[in-house]
Amino acid sequence: MCAMTHPASPELDPELYLPRMASVVAVESMTAREKFFKVELSKPLGHRPGQFVMLSLLGIGEAPISISCGPRHDNILEMVIRNAGSLTRVLHRLQPGARVGIRGPFGSGFHLDDFNGKDVVCIVGGLGLAPLRSLIQPIIAQPQRFGSITIISGCRTPAEELYRDELESWSRMDQDKVSVIRLVDKTANLPWNGKIGLVTAPIPDLKINPARTLVALCGPPVMYKFVLMELKALGIPNSQIFVDLERRMKCGVGQCGHCQINHVYCCQEGPVFRFDRIENLQEALQ
Amino acid sequence: MSIKGGDSVRAFIIRKNAVSDWIKHLARKNSVSFPQRAGHSGFRFKPVLETSEIQFEHYRPTLAPPGKQLTPAREVLFKYRKNATADPMLESVLDSQARVLAGVRPCDLKAIDLMDRVNREGFSNPHYLTRRENTVIIAHDCLQPCDAACFCAATGSLHWRANADVFLTSLDDEILVECLSERGIALAQGDHFTLCENTEPHKKRAEALRTQPFGRQFPVPLEQLPAIIAKQWQSRVWEKHVEHCFSCGSCNMVCPTCYCFNVVDDFNLADGDSGTRTSTWDGCMLPNFSEVAGGHNFRPHPAARQRHRVKRKFEYLSQRFQEPGFCIGCGRCARQCTAQIDIFSIVSDLVSQGENDPCVP
Repeated sequence: MCAMTHPASPELDPELYLPRMASVVAVESMTAREKFFKVELSKPLGHRPGQFVMLSLLGIGEAPISISCGPRHDNILEMVIRNAGSLTRVLHRLQPGARVGIRGPFGSGFHLDDFNGKDVVCIVGGLGLAPLRSLIQPIIAQPQRFGSITIISGCRTPAEELYRDELESWSRMDQDKVSVIRLVDKTANLPWNGKIGLVTAPIPDLKINPARTLVALCGPPVMYKFVLMELKALGIPNSQIFVDLERRMKCGVGQCGHCQINHVYCCQEGPVFRFDRIENLQEALQ
Repeated sequence: MSIKGGDSVRAFIIRKNAVSDWIKHLARKNSVSFPQRAGHSGFRFKPVLETSEIQFEHYRPTLAPPGKQLTPAREVLFKYRKNATADPMLESVLDSQARVLAGVRPCDLKAIDLMDRVNREGFSNPHYLTRRENTVIIAHDCLQPCDAACFCAATGSLHWRANADVFLTSLDDEILVECLSERGIALAQGDHFTLCENTEPHKKRAEALRTQPFGRQFPVPLEQLPAIIAKQWQSRVWEKHVEHCFSCGSCNMVCPTCYCFNVVDDFNLADGDSGTRTSTWDGCMLPNFSEVAGGHNFRPHPAARQRHRVKRKFEYLSQRFQEPGFCIGCGRCARQCTAQIDIFSIVSDLVSQGENDPCVP
């Protein structure tokens, strides 16, 4: 048979589902449930902040994992992986030298040019720091390109805080450029040098100019509603707020239907959305 | 299969009793599927053999729609073989076998067209499109509704022609054969076929034979449904129609425009080193469909899942692909539902309900 009734797209990739193999070069425990993975690919990933990869082990399975490092010129990819299922349980047992499969990067992500000259507020809850670190890193690395950055990072107890060393080192930087507010819901009798409370608590006291401020949010579904209420009270328009959403995804390429939020495919149009574009989308936030 | 390029002949007449011979003739050289009786439970699209009973027209809609042959229940995406000293061998699996889908009704024809659009969007699906580009479709007109469950006229499917390579219209003891593509022309060859210079009188005759009104009708035109249903988020209708739902997903599995899938790895127990990554059908009515790692479920209630399924057919995909009906009105979901839930009744209720009536959490 020859000519097609319906020509396939010229970009038809017969290997769309084939992962590229990459080496684990470092694994570090971060908390009881999360490990930090540094992986080396055969070429640079070429990602934007906020994008994700499909990470797999042959014979076990594949899952979407946020990219936790800013754009890089080398072949390194960093991820934080929570032990939450069969694939991640096996991943947690890997040692440096292990080989994993990577597809991607996928998703919309953040466009750094949107942040040029802007003051940036990042509000993260729990594991939400992992993806937003990919945005925080390039902003902190180029203070002349961006305005100030404020990081509000909350988690349940001190034992669940991710990237503590980095949060502390960022908090020691030039106070006019970088400020870090670390919170826990409760100390659980552990040593703690941050604040106690929810991530919403510091928002009313932020010294910001709403006109030149962009906000990025990532956290558990319950967090968004309350943070958005506080941001509204501060006078920040929805068009200056970005939310990074989590969904079940099995393909990463807009085909499996799992991540669909109404007519929107989270893996294609998201997972990072400018909030005014999804504010009327039911089921987006909860 | 040969293509006679440049052939301008497009329409023929064939005697009705010659159709079976023609289909079997095609099946000697090609893989041809045609609806055939399967046990006590109705009809299935099955390969045509010399002994097959080709009963043109008079079949109740098959359990699975013909389009599912383009997305099998289990589809191997790639094979792998691990290697002790080097990276694993990975081999993408694409099915480029030539096939003919025959005996396709207009509703299923529309569904295949919609799935073509879905699979071409964004990252094109190489597995679907490879199979699709090697598939030829012989469809036929319906002059009577299949049964009481069908509502294809209401969803704009009854007169669907785009996509067919050959389209058959039944006229008493003969059949009008219209070849709508080069590949269709290549199929309609042989002594059975008499050239038809003017198809119009035949089509008029068929139209006169068609049942009017044709099956169940919605209270408003299809084009108005997306806007009406978009306003229904907290309607009592969602809860009403889900009362007896078992969340079994049967409606998803038999739907010609449900395409969601899961992806699983299978390894070969015999050696432990080889295996496959495979996509398997999944359905949004199943309880854990939208559950994320850690246990949060974005649609924990059956009514919320029902709402998603119905809105997907009449609002979400309509919006995404600029096509008012992604439900094609075949009635399969209602026929197979373990709790007799009928999407036609849900939509009709939503239309008559009008305004929101808070209910669903």
